[in-house]
Amino acid sequence: MITDIIRTEKISKHYKDVCAVTDMSLNVRKGEIYGFLGLNGAGKTTTIRMLLGMIKPTSGTAYINDKKSSSENTELWRQVGSLVEVPYSYPELTVQENLEIFRRLHFIKNKNAVENIIDKLQLRQYATRKAKNLSLGNNQRLGLAKALIHNPEILILDEPTNGLDPAGIYEIREMLCDMAINRGVTIFISSHILGEISKFATRIGIIHQGKLIQELDTSQLEILCKKRLLVNAHDIEMAYSILSEKGYDVERNAEAHLEIMNSEVINNPDTIATLMVNAGCPPTMLKVEEEDLETYFLRTTGMKGGVR
Amino acid sequence: MKSIQASLWVEILKVRKSKIFWGTIILFMFISAMMGLLMFVQIHPGISGKLGMIGNKASMLRFGVPNWKNYLVLLMQGIAGVGLIGIGFVASWIFGREFSDHTVKDILAIPVSRSNIVYSKFIVVIIWSVILSFVYLAFGLLMGWLIGLPDWSGEIVIQYSCNYFVTTILILLLSTPVAFLASYSRGYLIPLGFVILTLLLANFIGMVGLGPYFPWAIPGLYGTPGVTADLQLHVSSYIILVCTCLIGLFGTVAFWRFADQN
Repeated sequence: MITDIIRTEKISKHYKDVCAVTDMSLNVRKGEIYGFLGLNGAGKTTTIRMLLGMIKPTSGTAYINDKKSSSENTELWRQVGSLVEVPYSYPELTVQENLEIFRRLHFIKNKNAVENIIDKLQLRQYATRKAKNLSLGNNQRLGLAKALIHNPEILILDEPTNGLDPAGIYEIREMLCDMAINRGVTIFISSHILGEISKFATRIGIIHQGKLIQELDTSQLEILCKKRLLVNAHDIEMAYSILSEKGYDVERNAEAHLEIMNSEVINNPDTIATLMVNAGCPPTMLKVEEEDLETYFLRTTGMKGGVR
Repeated sequence: MKSIQASLWVEILKVRKSKIFWGTIILFMFISAMMGLLMFVQIHPGISGKLGMIGNKASMLRFGVPNWKNYLVLLMQGIAGVGLIGIGFVASWIFGREFSDHTVKDILAIPVSRSNIVYSKFIVVIIWSVILSFVYLAFGLLMGWLIGLPDWSGEIVIQYSCNYFVTTILILLLSTPVAFLASYSRGYLIPLGFVILTLLLANFIGMVGLGPYFPWAIPGLYGTPGVTADLQLHVSSYIILVCTCLIGLFGTVAFWRFADQN
C-alpha cells in the first residue's frame, strides 16, 4: 500500500543562473493536509508546477501515487485536482459552460456533476454569468470548482483562498478538512496566510530561497513555538531591577514592556505577580504570549519579527 | 478516440461562443461583396463617379472582360491574400488565446493528452477556415448573380470552385507555423505580425521570380492563371509547402508536449 501520495526526490529547477528550487525532497501521506509555506519567490509555485508536470525538474523526480509526474502520464491526472496561482476561465463562457468543459475533459459520465459542484461551491446565482463578469472571489470559487468537479483523490492547490472573503475562507477550509478527514483526500496547499494554514494543515513544510528548510507536524508547532511572559508596571525601571536582581532573563521590547523567557515563569506567572507586589511595584499587565505560525515562520526563515 | 472527441467538443464550444467567429464570417462576406462591387463597376463604368473613392479605385483596376470566368479568377486571387491573413488570424487566435487568457495552465494536467488538445485545435482551425472559405465563395457567387454577370457556365463555376478550394487547402497548410509561433510566443500578436510579414514577403519574392520556392507565395501563384514560366509551380513547390506544414505541426505538438509551461 502506498503511503506517500506525493513525493519528491531532490527536485531542483534552475533557470540560467537562478536556482528557483534546490534539492527538495518532501513527502505527503494519504489523507494529510500539507501546508506549503514560503515567501513570494521562495519557489512554491515552481514546486507545484513540477508536481503537476507543467515544468520539468532540472534534476530529481516528483512522484504522485508512486508514478512519475509527467505531462505524458495522462491517467495520473484523473485522480488529481489542481489550482495554480490566480485562476482564469474562458471569459466568453458562462460558469456552467466553463465547468462543462472540465466535466468533458475529465470524462465524467454523470451529467449532474456540473450542477452538483455549482451548488457545492455556492455558485448557483452566477451559473449563467460569463466568467469575465465574475468578481475575484467568485472566479476563485470557479477555479476551485474546476479542481474539484471530478472528486479527485489528490488536491494540489496554490493559494486557493486568494480573493475570498472571511466567510468564504472559512467555508473552503471546512470543505477541505471534510474531504481530508471523511474521504481521505490528500491535500497539498500553498499559502501565504500562515494563520489560516495553521488552523487546518496536519503537516507544514517551510520553503525558503528554493530550499525546504523545515517539515513539521502541526502538533509539534506548540512545542517549537516560543513563549514569553510580558510584564508592565507603572515604574518599569523599578520592575526591571526587581526581576533582574532575582536572576530572571529580562529584556525590554519595542513596546517598552518587559519580556521574560524563563520557562518556569511562563508556566507560573503568578510567582512574578507575588514578587512584584511584595517589592512594592505591582504589575499592571502579565501576559503569556505564544509565538504564532507567522512569527515562527519569520524566525525560521531568518526574517524580522520572530521572538528573540 | 474518447480523448480527442472530448477536446474537440471543448474547442468547438469555445469558438462557437466567441464573437470573433461571427466577426470573421461578416468580414469575409463584406470582402466578397467588395469583389462583386469591383465587377459591378467594370460592367457599369459610369457609376464609378457616384461611388466616390471606391468607384475610382475599381475603375482603375482592370480584370479583363467582366464575366463569370474573370470574376471567379478575381475571387480566387482574393482568397489567396485574404485567406492567408484570415486563416493565419484563426490559427493565431485558437492557439494564442489560451496563453493570453492564461487558461492554458488548466488544460495541462488533465486526462486528455496535450497532443490531442493540439490536434483538436488544428481540426477546429480547418473547420473554421473551410466555413470562411465557403462563405466567401457562396456570397461571391450570390453577388455575381445579383450584379448580373454575363456568360454563366456551370462547368466554369465548378472548375474554378475546385481550384478555389485547392487554394484554400494550400493556405490551410500554412496555418501550422502560425500555430507554433502563437504557442511559442504565448499570445497572438507575434503570429499576426508574422502573417502580415509573410504576405508582404510573398509579393516581394514573387516579383523577383522566387515565388515557387517561397511557401507563402505558392497559394497565390496557384490561383493566378497564365503566370510566366519562372513563376510556374512544380512538384518541389508542393514539397516545400508540405514540409513547412509538417515542421509547423510537429513543432507545435513538441512545444505543447515538451516545453516548460511557466
